[in-house]
Amino acid sequence: MDFTFSPEHRALRRMIREFVENEIAPLAAELDRTHRVPFETMRKLGEVGLLGVCFPQEYGGMGAGEIGYCILMEELNRVCTSTGTNVGAHIGIGAMAIYLDGNEEQKRKYLTPLARGEKIAAFGLTESGAGSDAAAIRTRAVREGDSWILDGGKVFITNGGYADIVTVMAVTDPALGARGGVTAFIVETQWPGFKVAREEDKMGIRGTSTAEIVFEELRVPHENVLGKVGEGFITFMKALDMGRLTLGAACIGGAEMALESAVRWAKTRKQFGVALAHKQAVQWMIANMATEIEALRSLVYRVAWMVDTGQPFTQLAAMCKLYGSEVASRAIDMALQIHGGLGFTRDFPIERGFRDARIGEIYEGTSEVQRIVIASNIFREHGVRIRP
Amino acid sequence: MRAIVVLGRVLDPAGIVVNRRAGRIFVNREEYILPPADRCALEAAMRIKDATGCEVIALPRALFPDDDVLRQALAIGADRAIYLSGRGPDCADDAFMASVLAAAIRQLGGADLVLTGATTLDTGWTQLGPRLAEILDWPQILDAWQVEVQDSMTVVQAVVPADGGYALAEADLPALVTIAAGALKLRYPNGVRLINVYRGIGAVAEALERWEWQTLLEERPTPVLERRGQEFPPERERGVRVSGSAAEMARAVAGALRQRLGR
Repeated sequence: MDFTFSPEHRALRRMIREFVENEIAPLAAELDRTHRVPFETMRKLGEVGLLGVCFPQEYGGMGAGEIGYCILMEELNRVCTSTGTNVGAHIGIGAMAIYLDGNEEQKRKYLTPLARGEKIAAFGLTESGAGSDAAAIRTRAVREGDSWILDGGKVFITNGGYADIVTVMAVTDPALGARGGVTAFIVETQWPGFKVAREEDKMGIRGTSTAEIVFEELRVPHENVLGKVGEGFITFMKALDMGRLTLGAACIGGAEMALESAVRWAKTRKQFGVALAHKQAVQWMIANMATEIEALRSLVYRVAWMVDTGQPFTQLAAMCKLYGSEVASRAIDMALQIHGGLGFTRDFPIERGFRDARIGEIYEGTSEVQRIVIASNIFREHGVRIRP
Repeated sequence: MRAIVVLGRVLDPAGIVVNRRAGRIFVNREEYILPPADRCALEAAMRIKDATGCEVIALPRALFPDDDVLRQALAIGADRAIYLSGRGPDCADDAFMASVLAAAIRQLGGADLVLTGATTLDTGWTQLGPRLAEILDWPQILDAWQVEVQDSMTVVQAVVPADGGYALAEADLPALVTIAAGALKLRYPNGVRLINVYRGIGAVAEALERWEWQTLLEERPTPVLERRGQEFPPERERGVRVSGSAAEMARAVAGALRQRLGR
């Protein structure tokens, strides 16, 4: 077994660390305060190739694989969860769906500008009546000659307010349901019939666009069907598997930030005549945080290696998301406790980190859904097919 | 036109803890980085390449155990890089390396401009640039904050500190210019070049050559320094806080200096 990062991944981390410290960290508090999407940062990320970090070079990507993408997500979320979320929605699910199931022409036409950062992607799955129950979507696509007419809408779409391309899941045969009756489409947001209905005002990740988007008789050419007609649910679930793994990587970054802040504070803050670092209650919290982060890092990068070497990973990706989001929440909670009252103020990034961390247990499949995925896989191995 | 950029490496200060009481430096994370002044030299070289289309070749500041800094230079956009391999003397100082680098430049068929950092972050050595210019018998401009090649690539102009301000220095090419730390912000590497140069794929990886330094010289150069051991520099004494009007503070400073100097 070899647990070391390759020279290219070490060099990539060094490059990303420098980029995020210089370009992203100084903006993080302001993005949260003003509820602003950092378009200028997204452009810079695209210029250095990071918005296509995991995609093959023939499609405009960097070719650093899933390990490279996890490094990016870890480092981004170490300084700014909002920017990490924007990038995750773009690469990890929006563009990823096209990479996984797009045909050659679709990859040339859509994936290449997305990987180069010339265009931004979003992933259109969730609806007002279909959250954890993704198969219950109502957005309808009806075939009309060489086109499909989309009617309906999606909610909680990250990057939805400004994306150029949205991968959308719609019902094409209501009688067949999710298995056979749902199809994925590549939608250009400039097409007539695409509207942004509203932006959510959120508790955390306030430097992101979380939008409700609406399709009104939106005409999509048949060539923009992603994968096969009727197999959209599979395409979307595959993309979500990738997204869940990299959300686990994002959680390493968030938890790492919490640990670094807590250690820094415990070294300098004195109570009862000594630094907090000398208090056993604080030491135990630091030790627990560090141990969980290391366990998460081992899990996430092993699964990333499995993806890069073509091994099945669905169940493990759900574990990355489940364990990662809970580790990150516990870490920021302990960091806040160590900071005491000052951690509760907006003068310290801990407060923002606390609000940002909470979404980790909700988006791209709640912790409860991840447990369903994990349990389903375990029971399936024992011949039991469970129903959600 | 050909520009050479000479680059070093230094242990990342963020990964070490100095414990003076224990008399030790604890290395928590052994990661090497480009020294700040050499980063600026690399950026200066890239800006000259952008302006003139010149060829940029990276050479190492010392005989390093690996070629990492050269791969970084290629990822940033250098056209070629030469790794100098082989065991050197115990103290391969700037005098020794200047001779080796001059031989490497001759082996390359010469150059029009050499750029390097004015100083190193770890040892604080500043002699490499001046010594190399002396051996090559080229004009030198030291500690520059900005560099441009002018007049159909025959002259280099540089902004250098002078008399509490800045002056414009000029030299005919070929010339050597050392760049001050903090002068320029190094651009980010191109992602594809970065991955390919470390994976050993494509033209960018082929641009990294490996030369045995001993084959470049007929006589082995002799270092002027000898390593006899190492210890921490003397502890810095506490300063004296002064207050009051400007005149009172000036008198207090003068008095403190007299006392310190024993006058």
